[in-house]
Amino acid sequence: MADTTDLAITTSGLGMIYNPGIFARRKAALQDLNLNVPRGSIFGYLGQNGAGKTTTIKILAGLQYATSGQAWLFGIDVRQSRSRRELGFMPENPYFYEYLTAEETLDFYGRLSGLDRTTRRQRTGELLVQFGLGHARRVPMGEFSKGMRQRLGLAQAIIHKPPLVVLDEPMTGLDPLGRRDVRNVILSLRDAGQTVFFSSHILSDVEDICDRVCVLNKGRTVAEGPIHALLTGKILEVAVAASGIPPAGVPELSPLAMRAWHDGALYHVLLDSEEKAQQAKALIEKAGGTLRLMLPHTESLEEYFVRVTGEDGVTDGDSFGRRGDGVAAQTSKEGHA
Amino acid sequence: MIVPVIALNTFREAVRDKILYVLLVFGILMILVSRAIGWVSFGGEEKIMTDIGLGAIWMFTGMVSIFIGTGLIYKEIDKRTIYTILAKPTERWQFLAGKYLGLVLTTLVNLVALSMVFLGYLWLCGAPVTLALVEALFLTFLEMMVITAVAIFFSSASTPILSAIFTTIVFLAGQLTNRVVDLGARLHADHPWAEKILYLVYLVLPNLNNFNIRREAVLATQDRLHMAIPSSELAACTLYGLAYTLSVLLAAHLVFSRRNF
Repeated sequence: MADTTDLAITTSGLGMIYNPGIFARRKAALQDLNLNVPRGSIFGYLGQNGAGKTTTIKILAGLQYATSGQAWLFGIDVRQSRSRRELGFMPENPYFYEYLTAEETLDFYGRLSGLDRTTRRQRTGELLVQFGLGHARRVPMGEFSKGMRQRLGLAQAIIHKPPLVVLDEPMTGLDPLGRRDVRNVILSLRDAGQTVFFSSHILSDVEDICDRVCVLNKGRTVAEGPIHALLTGKILEVAVAASGIPPAGVPELSPLAMRAWHDGALYHVLLDSEEKAQQAKALIEKAGGTLRLMLPHTESLEEYFVRVTGEDGVTDGDSFGRRGDGVAAQTSKEGHA
Repeated sequence: MIVPVIALNTFREAVRDKILYVLLVFGILMILVSRAIGWVSFGGEEKIMTDIGLGAIWMFTGMVSIFIGTGLIYKEIDKRTIYTILAKPTERWQFLAGKYLGLVLTTLVNLVALSMVFLGYLWLCGAPVTLALVEALFLTFLEMMVITAVAIFFSSASTPILSAIFTTIVFLAGQLTNRVVDLGARLHADHPWAEKILYLVYLVLPNLNNFNIRREAVLATQDRLHMAIPSSELAACTLYGLAYTLSVLLAAHLVFSRRNF
């Protein structure tokens, strides 16, 4: 395999085929996945439901065995339990023993991670406070809300300060404040030199905090690389707003604008390029109006995601495969460039 | 040190489960009413008390092994608590061994509690208390070790209901394995293949008769003898119990280690 000194996660041709039985069809959940996750990065793992994200994460966490290919954590084959010494893992919707209190739960995971009693006590106290669960330290897990479980799930994953943290949908089920807290934890982990690999459906969060992303579709990689390389910054549309324009608007703008409307106070125009926006500005000022806003809109991760996976991705396998392959190749080229 | 951590947690889970106390209370009640049954029965009162007491301990400890054991692994998978455990540097055999030892510890505590009530009650009632009874209780514990391994095996491969059914069948059939051989011998003349199949069944099923010296213990106690069976026989039963347990746990590991979660 390749040199993995600078890589936290490496996969080579990783594949997973579920064989549900004699009469059911075999299903390829993951195909030929080649991932390289650099140390110290925040890596977003994206895809629609059933794209193969959780399957990948389960293989990395030793919960499932790949049917083809291999995966390594810091150069150690994931089939060896010692690879998980460096791993902190939170599954989607984590569950815990309901009869244990929050304190006992963290102590249990601390013991499984090989921490001594003093360190366990110290880390348990720290993490409960950090995740706002200090008041619930003696509350049984059975009485925890979904958000509280999610926070404890994250706490147990990092109790032993692992160099790699893998999180499956860590934002799911959290309110905006909870999401912000998780985002902050992920950023603080990166600041401490740890690598974070997480899957999410909340693309705005991924865009905000990730250094790199990988987009999966139907078990195949359709795009992978640094966010700045994938989102090229190309302007998709420019919103212009002006005051002092009569409700009838500026007729000369009609051929340029994608859309134009008057809300009673401001006249709004939507244009598809910066050049047209400049022309619109000149026409507005010529008509006696005052420019109040000119806002260019670049492609967001969500728009990129929809573009590369396609809206009909779940049902239309063939078209997906063709489009996906094309984008993957294109992205790969961009990445190397 | 993963195995003790999982074992102690399994023990903690069991002792916080109401079913353990329900079974314990019923076991104690049965031991206590044995004297009343002795009053209205033919035969010696002490013999009836000893007989019922040993039987109650066997039955209720067996129920603990079956009821708790059969759901043990499945519950971990169904509730997904296994995810966060196996994602730690835990080998799958360590998880399985931890669950098994945790349940064996639970069974042992249950058996010791019932035995203390039983032996204390006999002593209070002036009935003889001999080492033969302890021998019988020890072999009951060995039997429970075997049944717990069987429960873990089925639990690692099937749902709790199916596991409970299969384990109960093995538990009951294990009491009759000697008769399986007898039946094979009787069928030998007409159906020689049936004898071979029944012999195979005999080999696969645990011979739980080996652990049943309750009758001998009761008789030995009546005669104020301290040994129900010779120590060599006790050692052979112990070896058999441990070997069978280990084989079943290895089979459970083979199933469990290949599973995807």
